[in-house]
Amino acid sequence: MRLLHKYWHTALLSAAGLVGDNPLFLLDYLLRLLRVGVLLGLWQVLLQGKPTGIELSLGQLLTYTLVAEIIRDQLRCHTQLLQSLWEGSVGSYFLRPMSVFGQFAARMGGEWLFGLVFFSLPLALAAPLLGVDPLPASARAALLFPLSLGLAVAVGLALELFFGALVVWMDHNLYNAYRLRDALVALLSGGLIPLELLPWDLGHIVGYLPFASTASAPLRIYVGSGEPGPLLLLQAFWAVASWMMALWFWRFNRERLVIHGG
Amino acid sequence: MAAERIKKLLCLWRVYAYLDFMLLTRDLRLFLNYFITDTLLNLAAVSGTFLLAERFAGLGMWSKPQVVFLLGYGMLVGGLINTFFSFNVLYISRRLGRGQLDHTLIQPQPLWLSLLTEGFMPLSGSAILLPAVGLLWWAGAELGLDPGAGWWALFAMQILASATIATAFSFLWGSLAFWAPRAAEEISSSALRIVYQLTPFPLDGSGPLLIGGLLSVLPIGFVAWYPCRFLLGLSPSPWDGALTPLAALFFALAAGLTFAKGKKHYERTGSSRYLSFGHRR
Repeated sequence: MRLLHKYWHTALLSAAGLVGDNPLFLLDYLLRLLRVGVLLGLWQVLLQGKPTGIELSLGQLLTYTLVAEIIRDQLRCHTQLLQSLWEGSVGSYFLRPMSVFGQFAARMGGEWLFGLVFFSLPLALAAPLLGVDPLPASARAALLFPLSLGLAVAVGLALELFFGALVVWMDHNLYNAYRLRDALVALLSGGLIPLELLPWDLGHIVGYLPFASTASAPLRIYVGSGEPGPLLLLQAFWAVASWMMALWFWRFNRERLVIHGG
Repeated sequence: MAAERIKKLLCLWRVYAYLDFMLLTRDLRLFLNYFITDTLLNLAAVSGTFLLAERFAGLGMWSKPQVVFLLGYGMLVGGLINTFFSFNVLYISRRLGRGQLDHTLIQPQPLWLSLLTEGFMPLSGSAILLPAVGLLWWAGAELGLDPGAGWWALFAMQILASATIATAFSFLWGSLAFWAPRAAEEISSSALRIVYQLTPFPLDGSGPLLIGGLLSVLPIGFVAWYPCRFLLGLSPSPWDGALTPLAALFFALAAGLTFAKGKKHYERTGSSRYLSFGHRR
């Protein structure tokens, strides 16, 4: 309990710091709102009244996009790890009597709190104004979605740690590692463009990669376009496998970590 | 006087091009690492829209080659501004917020000349420019474009206008760092992220309110979508070709005025980011 207390307070400090340090997070909310508006418009142009041969209906696609934006922070799982490696401030994380990556995860959780209240909730409430039904496909989908989202966060955090270790392995080439991660996630996770919409049956192949477990799987369960059983099993597999891989890679590179500044 | 300034400008570009060359050739492995990664990642950044266009044989009124033209155009604009304004000139709020404007102000030349030249990286920037040219060339061939000198002049004008708008947008927001150096240090990144993320999409289905916003308050529509509509003959009026250059003029003026106002403030207050023993707050 005392251990949880420390992480909870780290999360609260992070939530408060987001507002105190940088009120310009509002600009990022504006970006998210614009992006969802553009995508909803694009799907309507693409799918309205046209036979496309894809499994998703227009209604499901609109819900998919809206919910992806509502829970975007949870699907991305970005911590301050890469930034801290760049600044050198990661050094102070090693000095505190808490797990190094646990602190980053707690800070990320704190930032979620603010986003959930000031962006996700208002967007969900505004869904009818955008012509989107924000409700899950069925009661079963509503029940299984939190479990799938939890597994998605577990895989996402493991990938975050893996890419942090990759930065160290690439001689602190943060720029390339960061952009590599963003490019892979944007294309392969299904968080921006549903994998069902990819050509040449790419979506089926990509769906087996760990990136798909971070976004596509929970969203497909939510809108009812995927069978929950196999999706959850695959997510559970990647949650275990990616953590084992990430922890090994982090430990392998730990001695190579060089800290400048701080 | 003007000829002298232009000579100085060209001379400085040559110096910075040489420095870029030296940076890249110092270590071949480093050069290839950056060059190949940049090329691949910039292509990957637009591949989502391309794959959608492939799946649906175009996007709305845009055929597949037209979408590729849009992607190439947007990438060319991004490549140009990154080639001419690297080293955080484009991300001006970082320089202002970190108190680094002083480094530029002490140089014996006008500020505008420094900002226009010291971020010039033609070789590093080619990792974005070359794939952009490739996309435009492929799209042009597929569309059967046979442009004359007039079309090329219009293309150059639109590209220049789009690049000006993106840069001015970053400077407009980035100037906030004169007044709030710490809070606004990364605001240029946020502003440019909006530009980069929405540029690859045709905005036709976005509704009048959103399109109005994207062509005024947040001029992202001018960075690729609107000029491409004109260049590809998708817009109903030939006067649409004048709108992007006019918008560029407006945003350049607005950014220039805001930056000058911020600089006046800075002249009175200076930077508060460094402690007396040199560390940053």
